[in-house]
Amino acid sequence: MPQIKVKIYRFDPSKDTEGTLREYTVDVADGARVLHVLHAVHEQDPDLAYRYCCGTGQCGSCALQVNGVPVLACFHEATDGMVLRPLNLPVQKDLVVDMGPALASIASLVPGPGRDLPRKREIDAIKPLRSCIECLACVSICPAMEVAEFTGPTAMRQEMRLALDPRDTRDRIPQAIQEGLFTCTTCQYCWKVCPKDIQIPGKAIEKLRAIANRQGLTLPRHQEIAQIIRETGRSVPRTQPTFLEQVGGTIEPYGEVKATVGFFVGCMYNLRLPRTALDALEVLRRNGVRLIIPPEQICCGSPLIRTGQVAAIPEIQEKNIRAFVSRGVDTVLTMCAGCGSTLKNDYRTPFRVVDINELLCSIGIEMPDILPVRAAYHDPCHLLRGQGIRDQPRQILGTVVNEVVELPVKCCGAGGGTRSGMPQVSHALAGKKAEEISKTGVDVVVTSCPFCEFHIREHSDRPVQNITSILLEGYRAKDARCSKEN
Amino acid sequence: MQFIYVRIEPTLYKMRGDEGLKSHVLIVGSGGAGVRAALEAAKYGDVIITSKSIPGKGGCTPMAEGGYNAVLRSQDSCVLHSEDTFRGGAYLNDPALVEVLVRESPDRLNDLVRWGAVFDFTEEDTVAQRSFGGQRFPRTCYAGDRTGHEVMMTLLEQLRTSDVQVLSEVTVISLLAEENRVTGAYALTRDGNPVTIRADSTVLATGGGSQIYDISTNSATGTGDGYALGYRAGAELIDMEMVQFHPTGAVYPYDARGRLITEAVRGEGGILTNARGERFMERYDPERMELSTRDVVARAIATEVLEGRGTARGGVYLDVTHLPARQIEEKLPVMLEQFLRFGVDIRSEPMEVAPTAHHFMGGLRITPDCTTTVPGLFACGEAAGGLHGANRLGGNALAETQVFGKRAGESAGKSRKRTDSLPRKAIAVQEERLSAYRSGIENPVKIRRDLRLAMWEGAGIFRTAPELETTLEKVDALAARPLKAYAVSTLAECCTVENMCLVASLVVRSALLRTESRGAHVRTDIKQPWDAATSPFGHTYMSVKRAGIERSGCADAAD
Repeated sequence: MPQIKVKIYRFDPSKDTEGTLREYTVDVADGARVLHVLHAVHEQDPDLAYRYCCGTGQCGSCALQVNGVPVLACFHEATDGMVLRPLNLPVQKDLVVDMGPALASIASLVPGPGRDLPRKREIDAIKPLRSCIECLACVSICPAMEVAEFTGPTAMRQEMRLALDPRDTRDRIPQAIQEGLFTCTTCQYCWKVCPKDIQIPGKAIEKLRAIANRQGLTLPRHQEIAQIIRETGRSVPRTQPTFLEQVGGTIEPYGEVKATVGFFVGCMYNLRLPRTALDALEVLRRNGVRLIIPPEQICCGSPLIRTGQVAAIPEIQEKNIRAFVSRGVDTVLTMCAGCGSTLKNDYRTPFRVVDINELLCSIGIEMPDILPVRAAYHDPCHLLRGQGIRDQPRQILGTVVNEVVELPVKCCGAGGGTRSGMPQVSHALAGKKAEEISKTGVDVVVTSCPFCEFHIREHSDRPVQNITSILLEGYRAKDARCSKEN
Repeated sequence: MQFIYVRIEPTLYKMRGDEGLKSHVLIVGSGGAGVRAALEAAKYGDVIITSKSIPGKGGCTPMAEGGYNAVLRSQDSCVLHSEDTFRGGAYLNDPALVEVLVRESPDRLNDLVRWGAVFDFTEEDTVAQRSFGGQRFPRTCYAGDRTGHEVMMTLLEQLRTSDVQVLSEVTVISLLAEENRVTGAYALTRDGNPVTIRADSTVLATGGGSQIYDISTNSATGTGDGYALGYRAGAELIDMEMVQFHPTGAVYPYDARGRLITEAVRGEGGILTNARGERFMERYDPERMELSTRDVVARAIATEVLEGRGTARGGVYLDVTHLPARQIEEKLPVMLEQFLRFGVDIRSEPMEVAPTAHHFMGGLRITPDCTTTVPGLFACGEAAGGLHGANRLGGNALAETQVFGKRAGESAGKSRKRTDSLPRKAIAVQEERLSAYRSGIENPVKIRRDLRLAMWEGAGIFRTAPELETTLEKVDALAARPLKAYAVSTLAECCTVENMCLVASLVVRSALLRTESRGAHVRTDIKQPWDAATSPFGHTYMSVKRAGIERSGCADAAD
């Protein structure tokens, strides 16, 4: 019978001004879940307030945070030393939060006479949005809800579910827009914490935005982006010589060829941060990567998909896929988190797509010199959650800086068309991010996404660097040292 | 049309002598039956619904996995559905209730579909149906294996747009009665503050009580409160010994034992094997095999385990690995997900299962209009008895919640408006009861645990008079222990444990009264020359005033 130590947040609004963590030790059976630990604690301390009901992941009563991540207590396996806190909602007592307002904001189907029944096709489209148990884990972690008037992920899920249903008599789009449809940064955190694995950003938010687009309700700033993509194939204007103007064809590595990949550069690196892309190129060459760079590649389409402007997407996808397939490439490398996530999740590519961090770690990198800096690593949403890449950038960063400092995992506000369409939301999130960065007192913030890089740089008082740029700095320091030593 | 997630202002209930809340209809319980009743009652006047939990989250409806029985196709018929229900129920069913169920179940399904329920559809764009145990036609409508959740979400959406006043996390601890008429209820909020609710009519939709067993599929709220509340208010209960043990509950992890493995697993083609790899249902029901009725399959599994052919953890195997992975993913997504969480991929490994307490066929005696034997009090759903007889067919419970939920709401809604004053005497009794918990000595958690173990050991699948007598002694002894409320917030918990003790004693006493084996109730100490169809016994009945077993057959009302 394992013994488990657990710290539990205790707060009684009738007595306390702020919550405290209290430690308990309990005996539980093998395979016990967090809920069973709570039952055992409750037996010792009957005043502990926690909510539960079905015990089998079907009612959504028992969501709480285990070590900062929202989970269902009845499903999540208990671990020694875990810290239990309530969801990030108004606390009524201990682990019990006020679910009322969030539940009340979930829309209802409004039936009307003479409405058609759905067809199987429609039922099949609705079903993936229907398994929500209203546990509010998504509401607990949604960054947009913290800074904007946004009813939140599951409310949007429900609006989309209703929009798909011919039995519903309401036009769901104006309501969804009013409820903050365009404030979502598509950070995907809601999906990743959803115990029912409901892909809210892709299956609800972006789909609602697509319907809004067909109704002519796309935000003007988003329409401008669509226009520039239509006209130039790129989502940002040219203000300087682009990466693709400077580099093209096949780039050979300096030494032995360890890998041959097509290189998908993406609009931000091509047009706005070509210097960073050139740094990456240098790092790749030093590490044995041969790059095939088709000049006819265009925007991946992410800014359009995220904002619901999907009419031109098949054509864009086809063009990009052809650019690489025609060169016989079996692996395409991305260094932009957004492009990588889009190619991996929104395309059906006949080739494998790898992110630069993934590639470098898999082939093993040349060791750089360690720079005398403390660096905070910011997880790009479209890398961490869009592609599941967490450890590789930390590994790489660990080789080149004195210390890697963790930041709270939260969206910087740059994504999902929010920066252009809802700048106040985007700025507010970046402001919070900047505060977190300041608190750490680091010398530099390192990330691996051009949107995050650009956006955080605008708001933080610390310099922001791409991971390959800092790695290159480490190589240069090494080169300088070696040439001095020789 | 605004959804009100009512938070009661403290001033509404805090003071003694306060007039409390008042509504035309009070619904106690917020599962499928309660919410359906509330929606119907709201057509006739103002309605308050109380929930021990949060509506949509409590009760067993959102956990119901398999389906909803309704006659929808021309090859099927109400007569067939009715015959299956009687046969499955060992002919103890109340025929008037069965007739209403089979006749109205399709209409209530249509209500749900009109309100937006997302049932699985066929390629021809009609509601799909699948096979369930003990039925000669595939008449079980479903939404994957989360059918109850689908029903509940649909009802909840309608509740949110209704004018029904919702009292979340408010536990009714007693009905209020005056001159043998129920006039409302006395309840506690989550913080332990009392609230009185007066109503012209009160509906008990409190669900079942399988939580009185150590191994149970029920949600934590399945503590049989409605049986206890009704009994104390003078209502008669029937067939309380009839507890359905679902054949397939999980055995691991230990703390989550009893978790329901839906019958849909067998409906989709799952097979049962013992530790020796034998498909043992051949020996118990060669014709229907795994899709025999639940009582038969549960006894078969229990027998295999008792006779040493079970797994090390005391179960048998339920296997779907021969089915295409896609079928499992589409038709059994909840099962797949739950087992994956516990480290078993059911696409490639068998599940381990054993019987688990699941459903109370017994309950408050009702008429087809859901009136109980006490004026002013109605009951529906699992809180009511008689429909399922001695064993419930899978898929009939969800149908019951809708058919009888609607009827209870309608009857209660149509009842006469009254101007009862606050029953101060009854309130004073409750206040005394609550204050006694302050000087109690027993941790209710401990009493509950001991009770559940005693019931599992002595009043489970196989029963004998001596074991039942011993169990009754244990239950009575536990019920006599003075419970201690360690904090105001645990007052309701004390009341719930008291209810559980009372319900357990009703089950055991009824089990002693029924001196035959019938359906889910098996008395291994009795040899009987009759089968279910020719049994000389009807319902057992139990109230504060009388207890006994009907002799004249299942159709008779009393004595």
